[in-house]
Amino acid sequence: MELFLQQLANGLVIGSTYSVVAIGFALAFTVLRVINFAHPDIFMVGMFAGLAVTAQWPAFGLLVAMVAGAAGAGAVGFVLERTVIAPLRGRDVLMTLIGTLGVAIVLQNAMALVVGPDPVAYPALLPRRFIDIGPVALTVRQVANFAICLLLLGLVSLYVRGTSYGRATRAIAERPDVAAAFGIHVARICQITILLASMMAGVAAVSVGMLYGSASAFVGLLYGLKAFICMLVAGNRYFEGVMVVGLAIGIIEALVTGYLSSSLRDAAAFFVLIGVLYFRPNGLFGSYNA
Amino acid sequence: MNFAAFEPIVIFTLLNVVMALGLYITALSGQLSMATAAIAGVGGYTSAVLTVKFAWPFLPAVVVAALAGALVGTCLALITLKMRDFILKLTTLAFGEALAVLAFNFDYIGGANSFTGIGLKTTIWTALLATAIALYVAWRFDASRLGLASRAVRDDPIAASAMGISIAFMRAITFAVGGALVAMGGAIQGHYMLVISPHDLGFFVSLNFIIFLLFGGLQTLWGPVFGAVLLTALPEMLRFTNEYRLILYGLIIVLVVLLRPDGLLTRTPTGRAVRILGYTLVPARPVASRASELKARPLPAYLLRRQAAE
Repeated sequence: MELFLQQLANGLVIGSTYSVVAIGFALAFTVLRVINFAHPDIFMVGMFAGLAVTAQWPAFGLLVAMVAGAAGAGAVGFVLERTVIAPLRGRDVLMTLIGTLGVAIVLQNAMALVVGPDPVAYPALLPRRFIDIGPVALTVRQVANFAICLLLLGLVSLYVRGTSYGRATRAIAERPDVAAAFGIHVARICQITILLASMMAGVAAVSVGMLYGSASAFVGLLYGLKAFICMLVAGNRYFEGVMVVGLAIGIIEALVTGYLSSSLRDAAAFFVLIGVLYFRPNGLFGSYNA
Repeated sequence: MNFAAFEPIVIFTLLNVVMALGLYITALSGQLSMATAAIAGVGGYTSAVLTVKFAWPFLPAVVVAALAGALVGTCLALITLKMRDFILKLTTLAFGEALAVLAFNFDYIGGANSFTGIGLKTTIWTALLATAIALYVAWRFDASRLGLASRAVRDDPIAASAMGISIAFMRAITFAVGGALVAMGGAIQGHYMLVISPHDLGFFVSLNFIIFLLFGGLQTLWGPVFGAVLLTALPEMLRFTNEYRLILYGLIIVLVVLLRPDGLLTRTPTGRAVRILGYTLVPARPVASRASELKARPLPAYLLRRQAAE
């Protein structure tokens, strides 16, 4: 039971980061119909932006690092939206995947050129102390990471459900042509969507870098596939669904690692994907324009 | 500058051409499989097991590997028969990953430690022969009634079935022939790399072949050939740029996707109808792809103009 609770907690921490990346993925796919494979690498850029600032001014804490991460990732995301992602709108889904994958290759290798291909140590922004919550022991960093990711997810939910821009976002997801006919500036909402998704990824990236104490130019590969799977399992009709599935996949992976073997961990997500696609091809919670 | 240094590049390029042509035939009925690497892996494992564990000669092992690929391809086609575009691609992706996981946990074929001890059988002549076979098959398939029928299914399934074409049969046959070619390429590659690991079956390897196809263009069989040759050789040709070469590689892919939506080689490179020797080549835009454009395009033109005027 203790192992179960402990792995449940670990899974929630990992799953919350999957959720944040998956939400950015889902936002891009729902609003622009572009599979943005560069998104995990925007996440990576955010991680290194935070690293650069804390390395330069070590006195600044986590908060400044996260602002820097958001700024770096947001800037890259914004430029990419203008140059690559927006022109890909309306093209075959696979073409958008290949185009953004090209961008991902460029980002990864450009960053590897700057920081080197090996993982780099991430500054310790929070102490490495354990907190006991009932039978579960978590580090301060894990708790902070979970809290930050949960806060981001809450903010996205608030934005999508509670603001006029969010309503416009959902309208475009449903019917872009009708939304435009009702006076929604589709291109502007697309810009804002990618910018928000990128900034969110940047904040989460700093928190993940702090959590694991290392950053690598190729960290995006891991998160990209997981986030993609989360989006597909959930379907893109409800962003909250993507969040729940992200957490669930994190928990499933942690439980598989705890009870079976760590070599099966990466396979677990795929088995979930196959199972869900077989019974509900549009995802657990349904999809737009499936 | 001796030839031996280039031999691996030439062989890998030729084998990539074989597998790209296999994927091209699969795609003729309208469905891009995302399990190419897995089917190539099936071929590789089959021929490796036959030659190593049963001491079969090279040639029959490759033939059986191709048959195994055809079988797996047919299964994939039958599984995905009722599925629609995007979901189908994802199911092929999941199918490939499931095969990779199976290979990972199946100790008879080495499991996570990879299958080792395969004999070196592939020479440049084997690769050339395989390429010739693949080109011949793809060329004949393209021009045959089967090729025409599968393209009819791709462009408009409803109209095609109204004309008496069985969609299920066309899907199955394109997946089978394509799977056979891919598995043949995979088997021959296995006898050159001498080791097959479950990682070679994964999504990112499959993605390479899709890039070959979309980069080269799907309208003629020369598109995939061109894409495979260029993109396999390109990282080597860019070697003088040292650490920048992968960045350039990525940039070239992005530029082609942005500037040439139908791939580099299309039926009419200038985008206009061309008359050659009495034949008129019209830019081919499949009906189905135009329909998806209409659905996905956010604004009709008259609205776009109004928005710009504001």
